[in-house]
Amino acid sequence: MKRRKRMLELLEDEIREHLERETQDNIDRGMSPEDARYAALCKFGSVRRVKEQTHDVWSLTFLEQFLQDILFGVRMLGRSPSVTIAAILAIALGVGINVGIFSVMNGLALRLLPVPRAREVLSISQILQFHGRGNRDIRNNAGYVSWSEYRDYRDHNHVFSGLAAYEPEAQATLAGGSSRQILGTLASCNYFDVLEEHPALGRSFIDADCSTPGGNAVAVLSEAMWRNQFGADPAIIGKPIVLNRTPFTVIGVAHSGFVGTELFPSDFWIPVTMQSVLEPGWNLLAKDNASWLAMLGRTRPGFTIDEVRADLDVIAQRMNHRYPGRSVSLAVRTARFFSSPEERQFLIPVSSVILAAFALVLLIACTNVTNLLLARASVRQKEMALRLSLGAARGRLIRQLLTESLLLSLAGGILGSVIACCLFGPLVRFVISHLPSDFPPMALNAAPDLHVLLYALLLTLGTGIAFGMIPALQSTRADLNGSLKGDGTYPVSGKGSGRFLLKALVGSQVAVCMVLLLAAGLLLRGLYYAQTVDPGFEIKGVAASFLNLRQQGYDQPHATQFVRQFTEKLHGLPGVTAVAQAENAPLARDLSEDGFMLPGQSDRIPIEYNHVTPGYFSLLGISIARGRNFTSAETHAAPSIIVTESTAQRLWPKRDPLGKILLDSQGHQHIVIGVAQDAQVSHLGESTSNYLYYPFGPEDNARSYVLIRYGASFGDTAKSMTVAAHSMDRNLAINVTQMEDYLELWRAPSRIVAGLSGSLGILALLLCSIGVYGMVSFSVSRSVREIGIRLALGADKRTVVRHVLWQAMKPVLMGGAVGVILCGLVSNLLTSMMFGIGAHDPVAFIFVPCFLLSIAVLATLLPALRAMDVDPAVTLRCE
Amino acid sequence: MLPRMSTKEELEKIELLQGTLDLLILRTLQLGPLHGHAIVKAIEFRSDEVLQVEQGSLYPALHRLIKRKWISVEEGTSENNRRAKFYALTALGKKQLRIETTKWERLAAAIAQILRPADSEGR
Repeated sequence: MKRRKRMLELLEDEIREHLERETQDNIDRGMSPEDARYAALCKFGSVRRVKEQTHDVWSLTFLEQFLQDILFGVRMLGRSPSVTIAAILAIALGVGINVGIFSVMNGLALRLLPVPRAREVLSISQILQFHGRGNRDIRNNAGYVSWSEYRDYRDHNHVFSGLAAYEPEAQATLAGGSSRQILGTLASCNYFDVLEEHPALGRSFIDADCSTPGGNAVAVLSEAMWRNQFGADPAIIGKPIVLNRTPFTVIGVAHSGFVGTELFPSDFWIPVTMQSVLEPGWNLLAKDNASWLAMLGRTRPGFTIDEVRADLDVIAQRMNHRYPGRSVSLAVRTARFFSSPEERQFLIPVSSVILAAFALVLLIACTNVTNLLLARASVRQKEMALRLSLGAARGRLIRQLLTESLLLSLAGGILGSVIACCLFGPLVRFVISHLPSDFPPMALNAAPDLHVLLYALLLTLGTGIAFGMIPALQSTRADLNGSLKGDGTYPVSGKGSGRFLLKALVGSQVAVCMVLLLAAGLLLRGLYYAQTVDPGFEIKGVAASFLNLRQQGYDQPHATQFVRQFTEKLHGLPGVTAVAQAENAPLARDLSEDGFMLPGQSDRIPIEYNHVTPGYFSLLGISIARGRNFTSAETHAAPSIIVTESTAQRLWPKRDPLGKILLDSQGHQHIVIGVAQDAQVSHLGESTSNYLYYPFGPEDNARSYVLIRYGASFGDTAKSMTVAAHSMDRNLAINVTQMEDYLELWRAPSRIVAGLSGSLGILALLLCSIGVYGMVSFSVSRSVREIGIRLALGADKRTVVRHVLWQAMKPVLMGGAVGVILCGLVSNLLTSMMFGIGAHDPVAFIFVPCFLLSIAVLATLLPALRAMDVDPAVTLRCE
Repeated sequence: MLPRMSTKEELEKIELLQGTLDLLILRTLQLGPLHGHAIVKAIEFRSDEVLQVEQGSLYPALHRLIKRKWISVEEGTSENNRRAKFYALTALGKKQLRIETTKWERLAAAIAQILRPADSEGR
């Protein structure tokens, strides 16, 4: 810009000069000085326009310079195609996997709901705080609201054209369908109107459908359900379907693109007022203190999100007056798959860790490219020095070099992004369709959109600048005299800052690689441990079947009757030696917890609990160490509990736990009648956490696990169990699981993370060893003369190789140490997935660094050995 | 891109268009380096004052020619000892002048050929 200003000043001088000459000419012709000046100005035309036009000519110059830079850059890149291709591939790989993972994250967390004008649809969550004691019945998500709260918000707000509420993921069994449960939505009757999703067939809900609780058994089906279960019957409208033993009349079929507003697609929608019909004996509509409905509102045109918040806050404040013990604040956000605070609290750290891990790989790839460019830059040092000494501005040269690296990164970034966009969509679909069978399909859209494009662009530009800046700065800061005279060779142990940079980069690569590999190593160790660990109970030969009878339309008496008959039938099955029931099956990832108190103390002790029948302990081989087992006469009314050994020790150290009293959060007294052996029944790898057992009561039959010990093959047992259940209820949804499969629930996340970080780590290792190899071979090839001199002066070949090796290993060792320390600091994040081995497992922390170092030594040794082939006679003569 | 063809009596001043001005500047500088004012004066003088350059338009044209590397510029002192910028033809500019001159002559000849029969019919 400074240059521009100077040029403009010069132009003004020139014009002034011109006008003076012309005026003088006119005066010489006999004009008066005033006339002469006027005539000169007339003849010249508008001075301002002339300046503008000239300025335009210059601007074009700048644009043309840029174009020149690009053309020159392309030529330079074309001159060393192998370096160029290697760099482009490295960047494509790095950017590609980052863009890919981001498109998945984007589909999960950033995409708006797939409904018309989704930007207007807001999600409203409550954040409840209790002053002192208080609790709330939380069904799905603590941010959800109760029916009465919803009606309060709906009827008293001034900012929404409509506010809908729905219970997502309500499970139901469809009579005549497969025995798998289907997911549906219990929706307020304005649901479809608020979302502006009009059914493809039939009608959606009208207000009358919600007028009487339990009175309007109507349903809207999803397009997929209509197609798969009803053969796309065009006359489906008006026909009945049976959900959880209750007939519903189909009134509509949703649009094929609409599967609800949750990650897991909805198969059907019924009015929310039908809740107690779908789940008998369980009237949520009447419960004012329950979180079970999600809220979505469509803002009236012209209202900002802050105005919406303010308006709803007034309603929340009124609510706080009504319930003095608690206070409600609201979280209002544009609706996405994950918009409640609870979900975001989980999603944001997890996704940032994943994105960071992927970004680390990109960083390594970048570092390699930087190394390549640095190596090339030192070859081009002479060119740069020549240009600088001929008067080229340093800024201009940096611009030229940055243009080159941006060209590289753009080529790599575009290639990577295109591949990622083509690959990750099918990949995600593949993964989703190969998830465990009891996992519902997901409506995850990983297709690229504006966010993904922006991310890819940002990443690409950032990459280009990141790896281009250092070599650009480096090579334009040449010592002109030296570079012009010299032949471009350096001593092996050169102190040049370029050499230092190269080493620092390799060191950081090793550090990053170490972190990724160590994480993978720790997780793999955890997996191995989980595979070999003894859970403390007999896990083989046990089958579990989860019966959620309440969700299948059973009330409690029916459920009790059903379970009694069912267990009788199971006892009669061949090979079945024991049958028991429990509220939570061991390791099934279902858990209940309560805060207990010792009499006379005010601290609440969190203890997990389970309701079990007397047969539970013997079936699982958990022995009662002291006291007695439950009797079959004991139910919820009995005050008996059984605690585990570690719990007893923690609560009553060195005293006899039998007969001791515990108070639950409701204040009921419970008496310890027995002590059971420790077992990992709730968390894999943890057997000593607090745990106690209650006796099983008839209430538990509505939702319980039936466990059997079998002698025959699992397949036959599962089949006969299913047959037994279906002989009583043809439409019952039942699945039978081998108890060992529950271990998989625990291992799966760690397997996924270990796989992810392992493959990233291997990728990093590959890139990293290329980096080390490149650094060493570069420095050997550049110091052939020095090696030659050393050899000629009588140095031992082995000493030379050792010298080269040591020079190369220094940055590797330092980077490795930094990586180990870093991983030691962050590995606590992984503890929840490691099942009992510590976050600083010595085996992983010794084995992985050794492995990495040996790879590094290998990568160093190959080029270093070439130093031994140096013939002093040849190298010294080629001067 | 042509100055309108007409006789001296019909019109006192002929407007110059861009392409022509470039050609005229190059031709003028063939005689030797000149400063801006001298270039306009030379053009006016050599055309018997028929071609009147709007003097201001000279400067964008000069810079355009510099950018194309057809002319170069350097500081110097003028005949009356004043500091001025002198413009000179470069080797590239000389080559361009030859090309442009040939092009111009062919164009002028072609147009003259078209116009001639029209003139005789008019008589």
